Amino acid sequence: MVSRFDQQKTKHQLFHVSLSLATILICMTYMQYRRNWAHLGSFWDSLIVPIVFIGELLKVILARFFGRIEDGVLTVKQRQKKAAYFTPRELLGGLTLQFLCTLLYAFICIILGAPVLANYEQTFVLSLLMTLLTVSPTVFLLGGGGALQVCFCEKPDFVTKCEDTALHLFKYNALGGILGAWAGSVVAPLDWGRDWQVYPIPNVIGALLGSALGNIYACTHVLYACGRVYMSKKRA
Amino acid sequence: MEEHKSHLTYTLYMLTLFLCGTLLFLIGFFPASYNVAEQENTLPIDRPTTLHGENLQIPTASYDSFILFLIDALRADFPNEFTMPAAHKRACAKLSLHVDIPTVTMPRLKSITTGTLSNFIDIALNVGHTEQVEDSLLHRLKEHNAVVSFAGDHTWVHLFPSEFTRIAANNDSFYVNDFYEGDRNVTKVLETELEMKDWKLLILHYLGLDHIGHVEGNESPRIKHKLKEMDDAIKKILDHKNMTNYLLMLTGDHGMADGGGHGGNTPAETSVPLYLYSNNCSKYAASTKRYNQIDLTPTLALLLSIEIPTMSIGCLIPEMLQTLSLEHQMYAFFYNAHHLLNKARVKFGHDNVRRSDYYHWYQEATLLHKQLLQPLRLGDGSLASRVHYENAKLNYLRVAREISGQLSESLVKFDYGFIAVGLALTTATSLHILLSVLFIDMATEQLQLYRLKVGQLLLSLAIGIALNVGSHLLDFVLTSSMLQGLLLLLPIVAAVYLTIDVAQALLKILLPPLYSRHLKLSIPLPVPLLVCYAIRILTLGSSSFIEFEYKTWYYLGNTLLMLIALKTLRRRITKANVELDGRHLHKIASTCLWQQRKIFVVLILLILMRYLHRLAAIKSTLMLFSLLLFWARLRKFTDTPQAVFNGFAFLLVYCFRGLNGQVQFFELPQYMVGRFLLPVLVLFWCCLALVLVLGYRTALPHQRESGRSLLDEQPRSNLLKLLHTNLTCSLMLVALLYKVQNVVLLPTLLITLDETYKLCEAYGTTARKFSVRLVHVYKTIMTIFVARMFYFYQGNSNSLSTIDLTPGYIGQTSYNPIIVGFFVTLNTYSAEIHSFLYLIVHTLRADLRSVGIMQLQPSYARAAHSLVAPLYAALVLLPAAFYLLLMVGFRYHLFIYSVFSPKVLYDCYTVFVFYLVFLTTSLYFKLFKHEA
Repeated sequence: MVSRFDQQKTKHQLFHVSLSLATILICMTYMQYRRNWAHLGSFWDSLIVPIVFIGELLKVILARFFGRIEDGVLTVKQRQKKAAYFTPRELLGGLTLQFLCTLLYAFICIILGAPVLANYEQTFVLSLLMTLLTVSPTVFLLGGGGALQVCFCEKPDFVTKCEDTALHLFKYNALGGILGAWAGSVVAPLDWGRDWQVYPIPNVIGALLGSALGNIYACTHVLYACGRVYMSKKRA
Repeated sequence: MEEHKSHLTYTLYMLTLFLCGTLLFLIGFFPASYNVAEQENTLPIDRPTTLHGENLQIPTASYDSFILFLIDALRADFPNEFTMPAAHKRACAKLSLHVDIPTVTMPRLKSITTGTLSNFIDIALNVGHTEQVEDSLLHRLKEHNAVVSFAGDHTWVHLFPSEFTRIAANNDSFYVNDFYEGDRNVTKVLETELEMKDWKLLILHYLGLDHIGHVEGNESPRIKHKLKEMDDAIKKILDHKNMTNYLLMLTGDHGMADGGGHGGNTPAETSVPLYLYSNNCSKYAASTKRYNQIDLTPTLALLLSIEIPTMSIGCLIPEMLQTLSLEHQMYAFFYNAHHLLNKARVKFGHDNVRRSDYYHWYQEATLLHKQLLQPLRLGDGSLASRVHYENAKLNYLRVAREISGQLSESLVKFDYGFIAVGLALTTATSLHILLSVLFIDMATEQLQLYRLKVGQLLLSLAIGIALNVGSHLLDFVLTSSMLQGLLLLLPIVAAVYLTIDVAQALLKILLPPLYSRHLKLSIPLPVPLLVCYAIRILTLGSSSFIEFEYKTWYYLGNTLLMLIALKTLRRRITKANVELDGRHLHKIASTCLWQQRKIFVVLILLILMRYLHRLAAIKSTLMLFSLLLFWARLRKFTDTPQAVFNGFAFLLVYCFRGLNGQVQFFELPQYMVGRFLLPVLVLFWCCLALVLVLGYRTALPHQRESGRSLLDEQPRSNLLKLLHTNLTCSLMLVALLYKVQNVVLLPTLLITLDETYKLCEAYGTTARKFSVRLVHVYKTIMTIFVARMFYFYQGNSNSLSTIDLTPGYIGQTSYNPIIVGFFVTLNTYSAEIHSFLYLIVHTLRADLRSVGIMQLQPSYARAAHSLVAPLYAALVLLPAAFYLLLMVGFRYHLFIYSVFSPKVLYDCYTVFVFYLVFLTTSLYFKLFKHEA
């Protein structure tokens, strides 16, 4: 691992982590600025969803940017895939996939105890956020069909090396987000009577923190390797 | 075969030992009679007559007659100007009393009469009420030859068998379907007593309100009607010509929770009103202060002019003493403070008391009191004596309050010897059974967990004797007799033996170099299940998680179902996709999703179950629909004649509910309803018996000769048939017992379990490396989660007030503790009992060929008793053992009696119920296994 130190990959990963952390920090600053938890769950009033959306979009652009470097070494299949990216069919597929995922997340929220109709707006915001954190980056990167294949195929052959790096990061992003949102519910039954214990707030914050932590975890060995390289350079 | 039989026997022994351990723990944690050990006889019984050399005048009784008008479950907001107009308007003082837990009748009566706090475990004895009270107001009245008359709840007679002069008790105070009959009798007695007028104290205990609450809830329209009846009875007393100089106290023994039950710790249950009535109301100052229920005892003792009962630790209620002269009031304050100080001396020791604050307050108060004696007798109203008077009074009151608080805190006493033995036994047992399940392949030969080793037994016997004798000598364990001491030897020896076993096994597992190969776990432990199970165990440590335990179960159970469903879906799609290489992916996905539609339907059903209590509007339709569905589900286990009777029985269940007016039914006049009710129930029982007989007929000996060839083909059919029949019958019975809107839970439970098992099988078969045991582990753990979810859907909780007593009295005309206990248990724990039975039946019946897998060795069905049942037992025992350990850590927690203790009772009872079910099932295995 250390012997074949991939500079591009490491740069990509480090930028990615910085972007995630920046997103979280902006979200936190925003929350601190508003000083009111109740609006977190409302669709029109909360800026969390747009902030996360922009963050994820930037990550995908980052991946595309790094992907350009290896444009010369693509296989035929990969080229075909690239060319088909902006066709209406793919765009429509991607949107449908994200919409279905939002519905699925809303269903999961309700199964796990969210009120069925009373808090539909909060449930919608939460599931939108979850979709943004888990499915959207992959869909933006590969299109709807590609995302499905990545999810259900053993090893799709159209994925380039750079995309593979990005997917690895997205995977931990998503896992952390899901686990964080799931674990956020732990405060719900406690009798502390705080205003941030209300339904979507702990889950939203849990999802944000979880995805950040997942990102950091995904990059631990890269960070470690960076440190090693840095130390050896310094010694030499 | 022998080896597998030993699994069941072994598990049964372990469960028995565990139950012994919990019993010992409970005895140690809630000592049933903690005040026996105290040397109460060192207290002076007589009232003090001198103070610093001055003679004191003992006040005489301030009223000729006292009436204690006790309405069971009268909560603080029940009597108001609309519900009880006369009682509300004519009350001289309206106070409110704080009731201690447990809020059930027997401990409350003890508190009112003796003035001491009751033990938590009294709640369990509430039903048995065997213990008699040693000393109380009534004992003292008897010594003074006062006439005490009583009418009402039978519990009083058990507590005071010989203290009353006249008794008119209801015969069956636990028969909750009696709303009016008993109360009418009490009022009749009241009328005759009012004419006689020779009594000093008359106690009336009305039970109707409590019964209405239990059966119909606190919103029932009958409650208003009942309160009106009570109001009329009070008016009768107040307006009677014989009542000249009297004190009437209207109060409740405990409140009523919002669901209509009681036993918990909500404000509605722990707050009761105390209304006072007298012929000269003017002397009472208006006050809405809150006192403790135990304060009533010393106050009453002083008003009755008798000695305060020795165990009393209450303060005085100054509002009730205002009719006394100032000198007598002073005496009252002095006497109670004096009494409490003596108690404190006995409890904490003379030196500690002398060093305390309250001793100085007491000294100050007595000096002032002495100075005041002369002016008070002369009727001196000067300012100085007024100030002295108030000063002394305040000092006396705060002495009493301080000591009362300290004494009630110090009443908590644990018997650490019993706790230690109980804990050792439960922990060792649960670890032992856990190890034996985890290493089930090695358990016999390498770990030797199943075999009884004589040498080790002798060794542990020796250690046990040494421990027992040592702890007795060091006064660590106190037993009242030699026999008890010897009996205690058994659990100690068992605990030592099991601990040695566990230690040896752990050593062997942790130190593999001693063996040629590493000991590996015999059963797979999937991470998500373990995580959820661990979370469930860890949340036991928080009081709010215990109060809202249902949330944990809904969350974790649904998470697991969802997780397994999604994982299976993904694996299926991936598998189907391998050949097609990424083409038509959305078609494959939608096909696989459609294959799994049922589990999503189940998830939606589970969401609906959360809102069950809101479906009251359509409950008739719902009940018909769910009975039909239930019948269709049960049709799978029953042959045609059984199914016919089964359907007929369900029809009768609907008729029964219809006759009771809970669902829509033909309009019938009242007398017709009464006439039809009994035949309907008799017919139901006949149908149940017929289904049972039809099912058992196949297993009868003479049938076996004729059907030999059939049986050879299906060796397990007899056992399976019997278990099916048992399951069907007990489910039919539960359909009768369940509340109307809960009946839908029964078919849903069966559907959910069925689909969960199918899902687990599908999950197991799609795994890369198939293992039968993985499927078993998934099924067992999922059964536990589903069972608990349905247990809470039904409306159960960890508070004792949600136990539904009504089903115990279906078809009963009197109180029979065994039948009522059986019905209530079956109703409360039906989800857990039937889930376990269903799991066993399913495992016996299951045939993996249906999902495309050949039968493997050990055969799938045999796992029912070799793996599934022990694993289930281990998973039931483990949290209970952990919770007992937690209890010891939390023994000084603020919520120990209100939140944690009811939960420990529930937990122990859950283990007990599981034990009974397990015992029955393994009996069937033993009896009918040899035919296989």
